[in-house]
Amino acid sequence: MRSIRSQLMLALLVLMTAASLLAGSIAYRRALHETSSLFDYQLRQMALSLRDEASVAAGIVLPPHPADSDFVIQIWDIFGSRIYFSGPEDQPFIDKAVLGYSDLTLGQQRWRVYSLALEDGVIQVAQPWSVRERLARTVALRVLVPLLLLLPLLALGAAWAVDRAIRPLNRVTAEVEQRDEHSLAPIAGPPLPVEIAPLVGELNRLLARLSAAFASQRAFVADAAHELRSPLTALSLQLQLLERARDSAESDLARQRLRAAIDRATHLVGQLLALARNEPEQTHAVLMPVDLATIAGEAIAETQPLADARGTRLELAADTRPRVNGEADSLRILGRNLVDNAVRYSPAGSQVSVRVQRTADGAPQLVVEDQGQGIPASDRERAFDRFYRRENCGEGGTGLGLAIVSAIARRHRARVELADASPHGLRVTVTFPRSQDLL
Amino acid sequence: MRVLLVEDDPMIAEAVRTALLQDGHAADLVGDGMAATTALRTSRFDIVLLDLGLPRKDGLGVLREMRARHDATPVIILTARDDVPSRIAGLDSGADDYLVKPFDLDELAARMRSAMRRSTGRSSPVIEHGAIRLDPATHEVSLDGQPVNLSAREYAVLEALLQRPGMVLSRAALEDRLYGFGGTIESNAVEVYIHALRRKLGADTIRTQRGAGYFIPRTPES
Repeated sequence: MRSIRSQLMLALLVLMTAASLLAGSIAYRRALHETSSLFDYQLRQMALSLRDEASVAAGIVLPPHPADSDFVIQIWDIFGSRIYFSGPEDQPFIDKAVLGYSDLTLGQQRWRVYSLALEDGVIQVAQPWSVRERLARTVALRVLVPLLLLLPLLALGAAWAVDRAIRPLNRVTAEVEQRDEHSLAPIAGPPLPVEIAPLVGELNRLLARLSAAFASQRAFVADAAHELRSPLTALSLQLQLLERARDSAESDLARQRLRAAIDRATHLVGQLLALARNEPEQTHAVLMPVDLATIAGEAIAETQPLADARGTRLELAADTRPRVNGEADSLRILGRNLVDNAVRYSPAGSQVSVRVQRTADGAPQLVVEDQGQGIPASDRERAFDRFYRRENCGEGGTGLGLAIVSAIARRHRARVELADASPHGLRVTVTFPRSQDLL
Repeated sequence: MRVLLVEDDPMIAEAVRTALLQDGHAADLVGDGMAATTALRTSRFDIVLLDLGLPRKDGLGVLREMRARHDATPVIILTARDDVPSRIAGLDSGADDYLVKPFDLDELAARMRSAMRRSTGRSSPVIEHGAIRLDPATHEVSLDGQPVNLSAREYAVLEALLQRPGMVLSRAALEDRLYGFGGTIESNAVEVYIHALRRKLGADTIRTQRGAGYFIPRTPES
């Protein structure tokens, strides 16, 4: 596994070693340069002092130079014969002279040479480069050694600094580790470094979305469980009545009511499923062009038996056949819920009208109008909540119809509006996006 | 017994009412909290079966309002809210019992009897008065150990009178025990049942208080 910590540590160590070596090499070069000018000066001074001390013409012979000396001195007379040589007699040595400073290589050794012309000869002082290099090395080592000795200390310090720098990361990791579907609180704590703050910010936003989704799911399940109790109670009671029926009239009635209770529980479960399937979290199914007038016609056909039972007239007006891009099944459920609601909440013998039309700018609309009591303006927000039921209507609906309509509309990016119908009743208008916006 | 059933779910209400009628009770049905309060203010009930989630006025509101008026009618809460805080709130608001939906009709009947016992201050479920013995659980009545065959309405009248011996119940009060708001009764129905009871249990069992009603003497004559 790639670790930021070890990567940082490795990079830091390599860089620090390289920097130390660089510092040593710079020190070496500078020292070599400086000792060179110093020794050059010394060479020249030696040559000059020899010129003053010894006169070649006078034939004074200088004492032999100590053999261990760094310097080698040669003196030639005007005819070019060597009259003095400080090195061992048998050692071959430079036998040419370039006036002033020069570098010469003799065998393995490089020499720095200074030659000074006299009136009657030439003095040459030579020194091996190795002397200067040794000195420069010593200086460079003096710089390098403490640096290299400091390296482990620097490594420790760097490790500490790296640990410190990634501590917020560790804290965030520990916080995230504690998270599961039950603890989705945002990651809190002291301000984070700018490098990880955006990551944690995004994480917190994700957690918030997850938490909201979970809460809504939990609320839905709790609501659903609560709402299932009523039909189950009705079922259980009707069954008990059937069991204790004393004659066939009682048992017939109980059986008939038991069937109604089963129908009701089945309807509720169907509505719950329709709602769950149309939750916004669900992935989009394939969208197809759907004829809105066909949807309206099917909704009316499905609701006809209920309308007939209540003596309600159903009326469809579709002078255009707009197509909307959507899921036919969901749209069918939307239409059926709207018409079913309208029939249920209208007085018996009234009229429910369904219209398919276009707005002035061409957006398809489905309008369902009833002649019931309507929904007071103050309640219209709540009307889309799950399990909202209109008061005093005496209808044991599931309270899910408009919630389902609203969920399906949202999936189709459609708008649902509730308004008063004239003279009284509820008008529900579903406005779909224009089809060219969708396709 | 005359029962007020407060329940907004028509299916459940209809089923419970059927069961109550089968058990020989008179049941009045209301579907919201306001109607329940109105009914409780205008009529007397032996027991109230109260749903909590009601339109217009919550069940607990109805209950608190009752108790604030010092109406001590026994109340059994019938609700889908099964969490402990809701039960505590219900009992603390003055309910006598708490039954979670879905419930068993026989258990409801047993709890109604027990709530009635507590409200009338009797610890034994069986009412014994002189030679008469009445078991509310089985609706069995015996005289000197011999079973007596009573119709459901005769039983209801006898039970009402035996619950508070010595207390005079008017004809109207007895009629209330027999029918709900909606029922139509013949004008002499109560007299018919009293007559039948006297015939089956002895003429002196039930006394008539002229212009007031009927009662069973506190101390039975042996």
